Amino acid sequence: MRTKLILALGAVAGPLLLRNLYVIMFGVPDEMEQGPIYRIFYYHLPAFLTAAACYFGALVASVLYLAKKDQKYDAFAVSATETGLAFAAVNLITGMIWGRIIWGIWWAWDPRLTWALICWLVYFGYLMLRTAIDDPTERAKNSAVLSVFASASVAVTWKAIEWWRTQHPGPVLSIRTGGVQKIDPMMENMIYMNTLALLLLAAIFVLVRLRQEEVQREIDGLRRYAHAMN
Amino acid sequence: MTTLRHAAAIARKDLRSEFRTKESINSTLSFSVVILLLFSFAFDPSPDMIVEFGGGLLWMVFAFAGALIVNRSFARELPNDCIDVLVSSPASGASLFLGKAVAAFVLLFGIECICLPVFGIFYNITWWRSLGGLMGVLALGTWALACAGTFFSALTMNLRLRELMLPMLLYPMLIPALLSAMMLTNTLLTGQPIPSDFTVWLRILIGFNIMFTTLSLYLAETILVR
Amino acid sequence: MDERNITFMFYGLAVAWGLLAVYAVLLGLRERNLTKQLDTLKRMVEEKK
Repeated sequence: MRTKLILALGAVAGPLLLRNLYVIMFGVPDEMEQGPIYRIFYYHLPAFLTAAACYFGALVASVLYLAKKDQKYDAFAVSATETGLAFAAVNLITGMIWGRIIWGIWWAWDPRLTWALICWLVYFGYLMLRTAIDDPTERAKNSAVLSVFASASVAVTWKAIEWWRTQHPGPVLSIRTGGVQKIDPMMENMIYMNTLALLLLAAIFVLVRLRQEEVQREIDGLRRYAHAMN
Repeated sequence: MTTLRHAAAIARKDLRSEFRTKESINSTLSFSVVILLLFSFAFDPSPDMIVEFGGGLLWMVFAFAGALIVNRSFARELPNDCIDVLVSSPASGASLFLGKAVAAFVLLFGIECICLPVFGIFYNITWWRSLGGLMGVLALGTWALACAGTFFSALTMNLRLRELMLPMLLYPMLIPALLSAMMLTNTLLTGQPIPSDFTVWLRILIGFNIMFTTLSLYLAETILVR
Repeated sequence: MDERNITFMFYGLAVAWGLLAVYAVLLGLRERNLTKQLDTLKRMVEEKK
């Protein structure tokens, strides 16, 4: 069942990703001021949105774990966090490459960049914490609590560094600007299409990772069983 | 009410045992002074420069010192399984956490009060020009360090590489609190009145404290009881 | 537009695809490793029975 779902998602996501890549390369026109480099944006923003969705999913799963103490929520939390980190890395590095051309520097201590980096570090700490605890219940409990704290801290950090001067371009999507059309509708549609593609890809990653967590638990169970038989 | 009474008992116990051995106080204090000294060698700052980054320097030192102190807060209870006794005592997880956080706060605040004059002497600046405000910011920032630090100390208590894991988890999460405290301290060190748009930093610092204290009190029981 | 603009666009797209591909490969490797472990364990338990 799970495998079929993964394959089905793959069958949709794969062609969509390729089609998007084709359109991004040859279909959309160059941006007037930035030239071809702006095409990175079609991965930069969708990757961020996907990562944010993953982090949010991890928070929900962690809260559910604390309420219900069911291992499957813990498995979902770690899968979503890890996938989120992968997409956040895409977001950060594509942003750096864009910044090198447009700003002339790889990195600016701009609020959004700083925030994205802090986010990455905080959630990386979450994965580190997991590797340091052996007992599954203890690990699930402690990391769920850490995930809740991480989300709280990340939210405050967002507010805190918003008060620095900003260098990063402001929102362009019409849902964020209150209906004002800041970019060509064709470009905006392309962003949504690629967000969809990346979200599907993220769903596949999470599902695969989730199955691995289950296999891991089965292995641990068998180990204990084999041990007890000796 | 019982929670507070229990918390006070735990805090008294922690402070008493600390003052008997003085192991964290001595090591943390000397560590802080050494860092202050090293910074002075590294940057050889002029008085104008110090006014610009003094707050940052102070809070870096305090953050290092804080990690050292809170590292001991729960690790202290590990030998002889003291932690199991504390958890099974009538004191709730929240009061246990609160007591330890208060003890860490008192220790850290004391160390900061010693560091400030040392800082003033080494870097040749008059730091007491707005003493009241400075103490207020110090107290708020220290509570953020002590509260989040004590909670993470409980979280990492049984870990391999505990000493490494704690700062790695703690510092990124403390960034909003440390950032606000640095900004406010920087302004207070100059002795100028705080510009009106700086109240936002104060709000962030207070908001951070309220949020982390509530979350910690709420989740302490989950973490401590196994 | 200058040369570098286009080159860096390719770098950017390559990084976006590359990172995700690397993550997918890592997932695949972990999958293989886990399956192997599971098989070994299952065989061990069978033999003991």
